[in-house]
Amino acid sequence: MNKMIAWLRRAVQAGLAVVGAVACMAAFAATPKDQLVIGMNMNNLLSLDPAGATGNDVLGVVANLYDYLVELDPQDLSQVRPALAERWEIAPDRMSLTLTLREGVHFQSGNPLTADDAAWSLRRVLKLNLAMASPWKSYGFKAANVERLIRAEDARTLRIDLPEATDPRMVLYTLATSVSAAILDRQAVMAHQKNGDLGAAWLLTHAAGSGPFALTEWRAKDAMLLDRFDGYWRGPARLRRVVMRHIGESLSLRFMIERGDVDLAAGMAGPDIEALKKHGGVVVQPVLRGTSYYVAVSMKDPHFADRRVRLALRSLIDYQGINAAIMPNYGVSHQRPVMIGLAATLPDPGYRLDPAAARKLLVEAGYPKGFGTTIRVMSDPPLINIATSLQATLALAGIDAKILSGTGNQVYGAMRERKFEIIVGRGGGGVEPHPHANLRALVYNPDNSDAARLTNFQGWRTSFHDPEINRLIEEAVRERDPAVQDEMYRRIQQRYEREVGAIQPVSQMVETVVLSKRVHNYIGHPSATTHLRDVYKD
Amino acid sequence: MASTTSWRPDLARWRARAGAMRGRLASTALTLLGLLVLTFFIGRVMPVDPVLALVGPDADASMYKEAAARLGVDQPVWVQFGRYIAELGSGNLGTSLLTGNAVTADIARVFPATVELATLAIVLGALAGVPLGVFAATRRGGLGDNVVRVISLSGYSVPVFWFGMMGLLVFYAWLGWVGGSGRIALEYDGVVPRATGLLLVDTALAGNWAAFGNAVKHITLPACILGLHSMAFISRMTRSFMLAQLSQEYVLTARVKGLPEWRVVWQHAFRNILVQLLTIVALAYGGLLEGAVLIETVYAWPGFGQYLTNSLLLGDMNAVMGCVLIVGIIFVTLNLVSDALYKIFDPRMK
Repeated sequence: MNKMIAWLRRAVQAGLAVVGAVACMAAFAATPKDQLVIGMNMNNLLSLDPAGATGNDVLGVVANLYDYLVELDPQDLSQVRPALAERWEIAPDRMSLTLTLREGVHFQSGNPLTADDAAWSLRRVLKLNLAMASPWKSYGFKAANVERLIRAEDARTLRIDLPEATDPRMVLYTLATSVSAAILDRQAVMAHQKNGDLGAAWLLTHAAGSGPFALTEWRAKDAMLLDRFDGYWRGPARLRRVVMRHIGESLSLRFMIERGDVDLAAGMAGPDIEALKKHGGVVVQPVLRGTSYYVAVSMKDPHFADRRVRLALRSLIDYQGINAAIMPNYGVSHQRPVMIGLAATLPDPGYRLDPAAARKLLVEAGYPKGFGTTIRVMSDPPLINIATSLQATLALAGIDAKILSGTGNQVYGAMRERKFEIIVGRGGGGVEPHPHANLRALVYNPDNSDAARLTNFQGWRTSFHDPEINRLIEEAVRERDPAVQDEMYRRIQQRYEREVGAIQPVSQMVETVVLSKRVHNYIGHPSATTHLRDVYKD
Repeated sequence: MASTTSWRPDLARWRARAGAMRGRLASTALTLLGLLVLTFFIGRVMPVDPVLALVGPDADASMYKEAAARLGVDQPVWVQFGRYIAELGSGNLGTSLLTGNAVTADIARVFPATVELATLAIVLGALAGVPLGVFAATRRGGLGDNVVRVISLSGYSVPVFWFGMMGLLVFYAWLGWVGGSGRIALEYDGVVPRATGLLLVDTALAGNWAAFGNAVKHITLPACILGLHSMAFISRMTRSFMLAQLSQEYVLTARVKGLPEWRVVWQHAFRNILVQLLTIVALAYGGLLEGAVLIETVYAWPGFGQYLTNSLLLGDMNAVMGCVLIVGIIFVTLNLVSDALYKIFDPRMK
């Protein structure tokens, strides 16, 4: 009996030792020092073609595979920094930009990078007319004029003539931030051209750039491997490899960063980020973005065509409650269409939840008992949570709102078709740090007819049409005097407030990443073009 | 002469068999065609717009129109379906909107991940579920039976998603006994050549035992959780089949003859439920191959279920149709196999 007890004791001890050893091995598991492992949801990463790639995730990838002509300082977005172009000039008549490219830059293929490549890359975007042609088309560029307007004067000089008067800073900002401005290796791309597609099919899953990292492998919705390009003109990146892995579940991602299996977690849910703030091994880094979370109504709907109803709706949003309870790690309170941090941005008007005022307005508008409506919203946080809050506060004034939740495709598809009543959404340009970028996206609507199908303008989608605001937006972007221009943008915001626009911003977006403390020099870029070339690990 | 008389009946039998086979193949092809028609038209009425997924919500009308024309979705739905079937005839499942690759290549890439996970899960599920079911049946109404029933009920009714999360929390986050999300740690990603796509096999073939061990660590938890789910189903079915057999007269006779109970159970009763068991295990396996979606999502397992779900959400109909076809073929094959097993093992079917 004693022998058996002794044997059992030894077996239990051995078992515990094995368990302890395994646990210790796991506890000390860590990613290699020369690799940055990023965990993120890759659901929206559909294409790597700079002419057609949409979404913010791709911006972060492309910014490291390719070079841009210029860059924006992530800590002061008004500062344009040299990149491939070592200097640039804006013509006195503000109708052209001339950029001088640096010498000795080579693509990852070994081909030299010239102004021809830059001109061809920009023209390609317009010729293909894929998703990323939008900003260029808004400046008046099109397939028919782009050969004439964007051209290489010699191997190092790129000249961009503007088709119509605009603020050349906007064009510079687009060159610095839009994925469409990445410079491609013309020879490498054209070697893969099929049926005159300018390499579009190949570039969906391949890259041909001069950036600090080269695409080694991409398995959609699984993993992307980027290896250091040793011939990079700024000198090789400090990391040997960047690995991105698709982690669809925020909680899984949280466990992985806690255990040190990933170094950087992006796109996590708010509660998981909140929990990680107490973890000693990580740093939470919020970056303010230029996009807004908003409540939009369709002015085609007879209820919301009435200004008094829109005004009532403005008093039926619990701004303070939403920002305090739902938006931490997602956004910060902001009630204007122009993003925070620009000289022209007006302070918040101080809208508050006021059901009594809303009820009064609804009585005046002929809805003493309220009415029924629908709120379309994506089923992801925080949008669904904002919609739920809105549903509750609308009920305070008798508005019975049903929530229709779905994918982005379903929600924004209905918005593009102008077939909705209320949408809780996110949008508003904001990649370029200029009031025009926000106003163009959220407010501008030069033609309100159905036939115009200006689906890229949310002003058109919501049927908000104010000729005076349109005129001011068009004039302001051409104004040369910065002080006068800022004043014009302030007037636009004041008029938008008086007219009670169809889109009511609630918060400005914050993108929060969680970083292991082993990661250094990671500076999240407000325009999503975060550069990893200087990042290193302990 | 004798040989001629014996030949004729054989020929007739072969002809009958060939006719039955043709009928079977025709009905199989019709089933698959019906499945495709249904999926295609359901896909077209779903409120999901593949063009919007491609161009993004901020694209203007001209970009949208060009993309729609490029995808061919501006054509009448019958034309689109006709084109699809014509392409299918030449073995082409089309190109995925999601990945830009041929759907066949995508499925070939993601399917082994699911096969590996589902196979391990079904092996674990069957190895645990069958003995538990037999055990419960032989102790009907007793404590053992009730314990097994509670286990199987909870294994079947508690969502796999919840088990997945709890498993990650306890065994990965707290104890660190198993690997986290994905099929393998990233430092081993791509270090062994892809031979079969089954990572356990590929790492073993390459003799990279560190990578093999890491792959084992990663597959253990999702396979156990899926296995638990299968085990619950298999044990319930086994118990029910065994109870039916244990009340038969031949079992009583065997007991009266004085055979030990284990022989009565395993050599007599169990042998008679074997074919039924094979059928339900095959069906459970088919279900795992098709529907391990939640566990693939929780564990970022780059498999078939996740591919199908993402394709559905984007309206990537070429990919959806390709997956549906594969699922249909799996179930038809499993049905054929289980029918064949019945014929082999159950003399009455002959």
